[in-house]
Amino acid sequence: MSFAQASLMPSFTRPPSHVAIVRCDSYERDLGALLFEALRQFDLPVGGKKVLLKPNFIEPDPNCVINTHPAVVGAVREAFLRLGAQSVRVAEGPGHERDTEAIVETIRLRDFLSPLLDLFVDLNLDEVRPVNLRTRASKLKQLYLPRTVLEADYIVSLPKLKTHHWVGATLSLKNMFGIVPGCCYGWPKNVLHWVGVTPAVLDINSTVRPDFAIVDGIIGMEGNGPIQGSPKPSGVLILGDDPVAVDATCARVMGLVPERIDYLAKAGALLGHLNPGKIRQLGESVASVRTPFAVLPAFHKLVAANGK
Amino acid sequence: MPNPEPLEFLLTNQNSDGGWGYHRASPSAVEPTAWALSALISSRRAPPPVEVCARARDWLLQAQLTDGSWPPFPGQPQGCWVTSIASEALHLLGGAQNAVERGLEWLLKEWPAEGNVWWRLRQTLIPSRVLRQNSSLRGWNWTPGTASWVEPTAYALLFLRSLPSEMLSPQAAKRRSLAERMLYDRMCPGGGWNNGNPLVYGVAGVPRFGPTAWALLALRDHPERAEIQMSLEWLKGAYSAIQGAASLALAHRCLAAYGHPVSPLASALGELYSHNRFFENVLTNSWIILAVNEEGNGAARSAGEAATR
Repeated sequence: MSFAQASLMPSFTRPPSHVAIVRCDSYERDLGALLFEALRQFDLPVGGKKVLLKPNFIEPDPNCVINTHPAVVGAVREAFLRLGAQSVRVAEGPGHERDTEAIVETIRLRDFLSPLLDLFVDLNLDEVRPVNLRTRASKLKQLYLPRTVLEADYIVSLPKLKTHHWVGATLSLKNMFGIVPGCCYGWPKNVLHWVGVTPAVLDINSTVRPDFAIVDGIIGMEGNGPIQGSPKPSGVLILGDDPVAVDATCARVMGLVPERIDYLAKAGALLGHLNPGKIRQLGESVASVRTPFAVLPAFHKLVAANGK
Repeated sequence: MPNPEPLEFLLTNQNSDGGWGYHRASPSAVEPTAWALSALISSRRAPPPVEVCARARDWLLQAQLTDGSWPPFPGQPQGCWVTSIASEALHLLGGAQNAVERGLEWLLKEWPAEGNVWWRLRQTLIPSRVLRQNSSLRGWNWTPGTASWVEPTAYALLFLRSLPSEMLSPQAAKRRSLAERMLYDRMCPGGGWNNGNPLVYGVAGVPRFGPTAWALLALRDHPERAEIQMSLEWLKGAYSAIQGAASLALAHRCLAAYGHPVSPLASALGELYSHNRFFENVLTNSWIILAVNEEGNGAARSAGEAATR
């Protein structure tokens, strides 16, 4: 079970992580085949497992600039089923919008996931259980978390490649805010902001660490993300078995220094690898796909010199 | 109406303990139980089913905490925004006056955290360069220890609005006035509301249907104000883009409450229902009933006005 297996270990004792960068310039491509081939490189232990995909759905967005593209969600589901997963469900608890149905209808998720009623779970309204957090980065100590998340065998964080106006960038770790249920904490889940975004990201991911991460960077978002930024065609899917390493790689692709993104720098101590020397790169190199993202002035300090 | 009708959906999906879950066959929770009860009480299609309502009332009474508040789920130790909704439902039903008064008392004591001494000191020393809002104007929060937001503030105002004036202390009137001012302060520059951040980094926030509808319903005693008119215009203009049944029901209820003509809700819901059965969501079905009822109120108001002309 993913929840029980969440692993905390100092980076120097953690084995190297694996991250693959796959070029893909359009949602019209055969994403199912592309992702299946990419995932096969990882020899994932998902046979017979209940897999849960956690995309980033924020609000109704017909052009799918804000949300993980439903074509990617559908393709990832197809790929995990081909890898032998017993079931693959999709679950999200949007942070601002109470009407989750409006989001999934606007992005036409049902065209890629059918029957929607059986395959999609609104985490904001799920049954909850109290969970003691495994770390004390924040003063939260405990959160009510959705049963669907706690009972999943294997969790895949499936965010979009975006800048974020509070923390610099939102990727697979920040995406896990969406498992915190609105029915207990509201819209937005303001308690997470009051204890601090960085400590909250760390506590949530130390307790329910995604087993795998796949970032939709085919078209990302730059500038005033995660909602009001501009589309940024980046032409990549970035995936790996360590969410910290995946996020660090994403940041480098975006022209940002991951060690300067507060929550990511701290996650590098216990949750995964930031150090490129500990990340086995598969597929394309970071340098070959680097696409510097514009950031708000408050985050210019995150930008790598010369975009490298 | 969609098939099955929302009223039928609620009646057939009450849990054996008397409450409703957020979805069919899920454990009872305070918010869906309160909305389902309010919807059943207000339904024009049938008299409120006495036995069903009584069981819901008893479930809510058992879930109330000793401090007068309600938590999201029974057994949780801390009350929150659902107190407004549960209190209003019980007030509408009647027969639970003490519980309603205790709920009201808790709400009036519960202040959002942005106005505390430390917050004000920090704001004075380090003014926010990100948000532009008057934090001295406070409403209600989602959960204790956090800031005011549009929707929980609107829920609390709607509860206060439902009470007879003799139940409202001067303190209640003061909170109500402050919360109304907070809502106006948090309106998006072009009208309408999002969760409560109208301007971030100098960029105007984009309104959302739910918060806009709730804020307008809570402020319906001031239809003449420019902010209300601007927000109604936004809602009317954006109405046709709504693709969720819950948002549609809220927008419909809101426009009907302000006497704006809207096409019958049922026609817009049929296609959505065929796609997703509204995710068998109790809130959505309850809000549809409340919207249809408001539609009826609008028709009755129009008939009454015509008769008196």
